[in-house]
Amino acid sequence: MTNDTVHKFFDTLKDDSISFAYRGSFSNSVLAMATELIKNNMEEGHAKLRNKLSFLMIESFQNIARYADSSEVSEADENSDFFMTRNIGNTFYVISANLISNDKVSSLHDRLEKVNTLDKKELNNLYREVLTNKQINQKGGAGLGFIEMVRKTEGKLPFDIIKIDDEYSMFFMQIELKNPSVESDSEPAKLEDAKHIQKLVADNNILMMHKGSFTQEAVGPVLRMVEDNMNNMKLKIQKKIYHFLVEILQNISKHSYILNNDREGIFLIGFKNGEFHIGTGNYIENKKIPNFKGQLDQVNSLNNDELNDLYRKYLREGRDTESGSAGLGLIDLARETEDKISYSFTPVTDNYSFFSLTVKF
Amino acid sequence: MLKKINIKATDDLPGVVFDPKKNFFMIYGRILPEDGRIFFNPLLEWIGEYVKEPNEYTEMHFKLDYYNSSTARMLTKLIVELEKIITTGNKVKVVWEYSGDDEVIKERGEELKSISYLPFELRAV
Repeated sequence: MTNDTVHKFFDTLKDDSISFAYRGSFSNSVLAMATELIKNNMEEGHAKLRNKLSFLMIESFQNIARYADSSEVSEADENSDFFMTRNIGNTFYVISANLISNDKVSSLHDRLEKVNTLDKKELNNLYREVLTNKQINQKGGAGLGFIEMVRKTEGKLPFDIIKIDDEYSMFFMQIELKNPSVESDSEPAKLEDAKHIQKLVADNNILMMHKGSFTQEAVGPVLRMVEDNMNNMKLKIQKKIYHFLVEILQNISKHSYILNNDREGIFLIGFKNGEFHIGTGNYIENKKIPNFKGQLDQVNSLNNDELNDLYRKYLREGRDTESGSAGLGLIDLARETEDKISYSFTPVTDNYSFFSLTVKF
Repeated sequence: MLKKINIKATDDLPGVVFDPKKNFFMIYGRILPEDGRIFFNPLLEWIGEYVKEPNEYTEMHFKLDYYNSSTARMLTKLIVELEKIITTGNKVKVVWEYSGDDEVIKERGEELKSISYLPFELRAV
């Protein structure tokens, strides 16, 4: 993962006020945290949608967990299961992508085509029919879930099924939940956009991506989710990732530029060639850049012993915050990474720039 | 005697027991505040009073799962404050408890030990 990757993601998701994507194995704890994360970050105007959205996220997520035929696919595979929730304007999108075996494609296709053509009354009838008739359910592999999704959203379910090889196809679906009481002039997101993002996530070996407002309250569920999701990893790695995230996310929450009343930022966790990569991006006020860049260059110029000495000195004596010297958080980040801290500043306007940082370990 | 402190741990703030009567002092849990001063300044004030007339022997226990760098500075301040006990002729010791497989907290303890003038025990529990 490079700073370009971070920038590319931020750009692709520029209209998203909240965005969360996850790729890998699907457990209920990830689901619980994902719904918490989105709920906590929803703007007040969308409060009424909370329960519906949680319901749709759960249905979609569990659909993947239940029906995906990906047991033979390793997590590093570009076709591993994918889940995403995003909010653009007045619409929330819940996106899933997972492998299904080719023999299920035609019945899945027919079932979705059917629910997409029915009106409200016909849907209710079908719902009752499926409830009382088990056979239909078994044939399709997915039954009430799709009907419920269409009933709850009062719209269509855009989907696509793309053949991968002789055995498997990739099944993409996008649930769209609109808030009718909010006006929006944003361009609605298409299924093609979702497919593009899924590819971007897979190509860059991303395990988790979150874009949104990085306040202390919003950071909490992110951290708990990461922690929960890492239970099968070595404690040391787990603590390191956790440690990185706390320092980096708190850094965004404290120092980022407030644009439209928001401290907007993005973070990505990736895994490639046995190494974890963490990338973050946020806006920063241009006048703060020289000082901040000086701090980054300072910690990057020191070796580990020098970093340790500096860290211990500041622990005991404190740091003169006017000194322009790096703080404990940054020194700590530098001494824990394998390489140097990689960073870039990209000017956006005369006032602010996009700052991204990537570390690996 | 100072009134005891008893704070329950939350998701991102630690539990604290400072009880001079029972001679029990402990900070435990996870500490993640963005600004460590808000939580720690009252504790530092309390310790500032305590070290003027401490018990004959004070053992400060840390049993932490995780803390951020803003907290590291606060923990050091607390330990530095405890060093004043030595000048009163009383005894003081830090006990840094860590679970056996937690290398990160162990290393953090070693680091604090290296900058402290107090007897400082690292204890695997």
